[in-house]
Amino acid sequence: MMDHILSNIIFLPLIIAMVMGVVQAPVKVLRLGAFFSSVVTLFLVLWLAYHYDPHGGMQFVEQAPWIQSSGFTYFIGIDFLSLIMLLLITLLMPPLYLYMMHEKRKGYWYNMMLLQTGVTGAVLSLDLVLFYLFWETMLLPIFIMIGKYGNGLRQYNSMKIILMTILGSMSMLFSIMYLGYMYFETTGVWSFALQDLATLDFDAQTFIWLAAGFLLAFAIKIPLVGFHTWMAPAYGSAPTPAVVIMSSIMAKLGIYGIWRFGFGLFETTLIYYAPTIIVLALIGLLYYAIRAITEDNLRRMFAYSSGSHLSLIALGIFLTNIYAWSGSLYFIGTHALASAGIFLMIGLLYKRFKTVHISELGGIAGKAPKFAFFFAFFALSIAGLPGTGGFVAELLIIIGAFKTNIWIGVFTATTMLSAMVYIFWMLQRTLFGTANNTTEFSDLNLREVILLLPLVILLILTGIAPSLFTPMFEPQLSLFLQDALHAIGASK
Amino acid sequence: MIEQFLYASPMATVVLGALVLMLLANSTLTLSRLNLIAVSFLGLSLILQFSLYGDKSTAFLFETIFGDTFILDDFASIFDMMFTAGAMLTLLINNDYFKSHTYFSGEYFALMLFSLFGMMMLSHAHELLTAFIALEIASLSVYALVGYHKSNKVSSEAMMKYIVLGSMTGAFFMLGTALIYGSVGSTSLTEIANYVNGNSLDNIPMLIIGATFIMLTILFKIGAVPFHSWVVDVYHGAPYPITMYMASTFKIAVFAIALRLYLVDFAPINSFWTELLQAVTILTLFGGSWLAINQSLVKRMLAGSSIVHSGYLLIALSSIGLGSKVAAPAIMFYLIAYFISAAGAFGILSFIDSQSKRQMKYEDFKGFAQRRPYMALMMSIFMLSLAGFPSTIGFLGKFYIFTSAIESGQILLAGLGILTAFISVYYYFKLIAMMYFYPSEEEQKVFPVNISTILIVMMALIVVWGGIGTTLIPYIPGADGFMEIAIEAMSSLR
Repeated sequence: MMDHILSNIIFLPLIIAMVMGVVQAPVKVLRLGAFFSSVVTLFLVLWLAYHYDPHGGMQFVEQAPWIQSSGFTYFIGIDFLSLIMLLLITLLMPPLYLYMMHEKRKGYWYNMMLLQTGVTGAVLSLDLVLFYLFWETMLLPIFIMIGKYGNGLRQYNSMKIILMTILGSMSMLFSIMYLGYMYFETTGVWSFALQDLATLDFDAQTFIWLAAGFLLAFAIKIPLVGFHTWMAPAYGSAPTPAVVIMSSIMAKLGIYGIWRFGFGLFETTLIYYAPTIIVLALIGLLYYAIRAITEDNLRRMFAYSSGSHLSLIALGIFLTNIYAWSGSLYFIGTHALASAGIFLMIGLLYKRFKTVHISELGGIAGKAPKFAFFFAFFALSIAGLPGTGGFVAELLIIIGAFKTNIWIGVFTATTMLSAMVYIFWMLQRTLFGTANNTTEFSDLNLREVILLLPLVILLILTGIAPSLFTPMFEPQLSLFLQDALHAIGASK
Repeated sequence: MIEQFLYASPMATVVLGALVLMLLANSTLTLSRLNLIAVSFLGLSLILQFSLYGDKSTAFLFETIFGDTFILDDFASIFDMMFTAGAMLTLLINNDYFKSHTYFSGEYFALMLFSLFGMMMLSHAHELLTAFIALEIASLSVYALVGYHKSNKVSSEAMMKYIVLGSMTGAFFMLGTALIYGSVGSTSLTEIANYVNGNSLDNIPMLIIGATFIMLTILFKIGAVPFHSWVVDVYHGAPYPITMYMASTFKIAVFAIALRLYLVDFAPINSFWTELLQAVTILTLFGGSWLAINQSLVKRMLAGSSIVHSGYLLIALSSIGLGSKVAAPAIMFYLIAYFISAAGAFGILSFIDSQSKRQMKYEDFKGFAQRRPYMALMMSIFMLSLAGFPSTIGFLGKFYIFTSAIESGQILLAGLGILTAFISVYYYFKLIAMMYFYPSEEEQKVFPVNISTILIVMMALIVVWGGIGTTLIPYIPGADGFMEIAIEAMSSLR
């Protein structure tokens, strides 16, 4: 099992789903299988994290021929970036399954397992075609989950998200094909492995076009402002587990893509795009925050809040200094945990109230203190409450921004303020204030507390003891940054 | 001499089968029995083809009598196998359809086999008049098949449209042949190739014009814009088995002759057509997308999208003209990929039609996943493959086609191809959305296990395995295996 540990982690959920599908497992068995797959992958990933060498670069590499005639390889490996993403995915799956416990619809469980395989594969792939395969296949479960199990204008919104994200993927596919062909032309062999394609050299103009293909895909996934029209409708329509995966994992995959493939393939060209993206991210910070303040639907509100924070992460990457980079990386983790928490809370709220509109809520704190505590905790950790991980991360990015330019720094700092505004105002209207039809409101039961507790503990740990986590990524991250800066410096 | 008869036996079996079926057409045998007879003749022919594959002692069939009229190469053999397999699939998958629609009679099977014989002859033809006769044998049978539902106005209208336009383009083929004969003095492809190679392009205007006329016929037969006006109506009017046969098998047959002509014999004058072909390609891509988007009937959508798929193939065809190495295998691979996916999709439509006999609009698919979860899953797989979604064989097909365009420097065409692939996501995913996103009033139905459904399941598996199958698992070819077949076929073209 440990020989091909990464393959096991990727394909275990898929295989279990397929076996369940073939034997037509009843929903109780299916649920057990899903739990089993999520717990086993969690243990495998924890084992992996324990044996992972923070100074080692790419590890646990597996390479095998896949489609030889065109040089596709099954090439996977793990480094600090993928490890963090992998930890997040596997940590979130068991609580999500616990949340879905009473779900009777089988398709729900199948889609979640397929989704786990898709996102895990995308995070671990080092071959561009393999990455593209997982990048696209993870859309299908999301498409089905929004369209079939969602609410509101679900059919329309799921078509919208799939069309917009596929537009991005298609442009990325074009760049991948061009890179692959150019590698064939220069060396005479087909290869789509990241390390091979990174050796290619073109003139500046070609690089700009190729990078545009990738950046469009990632900008839509994050989404940067201007590419965001799918976001709020999709978050608003999607069922809770899908929203959690979308905001905690898939949006971060856009960031991951910029890091892995953007800086891996075209580090110098990204400097050409840096001003544009920094401006877009700054606009995004403010625009999304304002939309979040005015939003009445909690799901859409935290969609915008998530967009605002992801813009902050994207900004951090393009500032290319160690504070901003560590901050961004740290924020990927803490924001994933916090937004998973808050979307789960909204899901629990919806189960009780059948509404997520702030104007129809109020006075929850009096009726359900435990619920109110968890709800407030996750909301505040989204806002960057000192003592939670988000605070550390945001602070690092803001310091990085001030290092670069005082005005960027000032703008960046407004995220913390604006987040405070919408979070506190929202808390005041939902938890306190006049009680609105809360008579039937039941507090959190034991299962719900258990599923939320790990997230709370991790958020507090990341907040008060960052030194527990930083050694895992710090050495490699600074090396990576040095490489990037070196390449950029050389090109100037 | 005796082994020459052996080489001719696959084609002879099909003709013999057709004649036997004609004699049996008015007997008391049921349609299922006749179908079985037709399939067993095809199976026999397929077995003969397999056993003779790669083992040819002569280059031409009956060389002492016919000269170089019929060529024997792996290229033709592989196309023969695809046609035969296509006809067999069409007959087997539609077995229920024949039983549930009263207008079918025994002659249907004879016509199918005659058209198959025409296609096989076409892939072996090494002489323009033979190619014309073969094309007309195949076409005439298909004309009759399109209008097979005699009492149905749509079907008859489709046949009229097809027969009038098709005969006119047939005349163009003859005109082209006449012009080529006028300049070369022969209609043999060997002579023509020698003549083209021996003269500079400026001295052979008549041959170029003749070859262009032939190309127009081919563009018409594959439904390229602006010769596409018949496609949607004919595909719509024809009964499902015939639509399936035309979209998957007949289209491939036209590409067989096109590849032979433009890859080998007219290769030196390909550069003359580059711009023309590129313009037609762009028109085809966008015209087809426009047609496909605007349809409310799924059958018409598939017809429109088949134009788009011709457009992708034309991209690779113009890449060949610009000297791309990967383009020819890419076309072959794409033909296999499209053949399996389209045949599967039409097969499911025909299956539904034989069960419920309704016009299949997009709306009729609402709740389909709840009524028939397995059928819906397989339909989704075929739609994903047609849309070029990764992990299906259609993705690899598109990948090779677009890479060939990049290789030949046609970045714009590759970009437009990707754009139309993106547009196609809309109309294919719309069907998936219809199937899965709406509840159904009816109960879940039992999955009927019979020959047609088993074949559909197998094709869905091939679509997925062709997309992700690896060489890691021995004895099951997967994507690499298909690519090897494609390369082998192309390398035998001389």
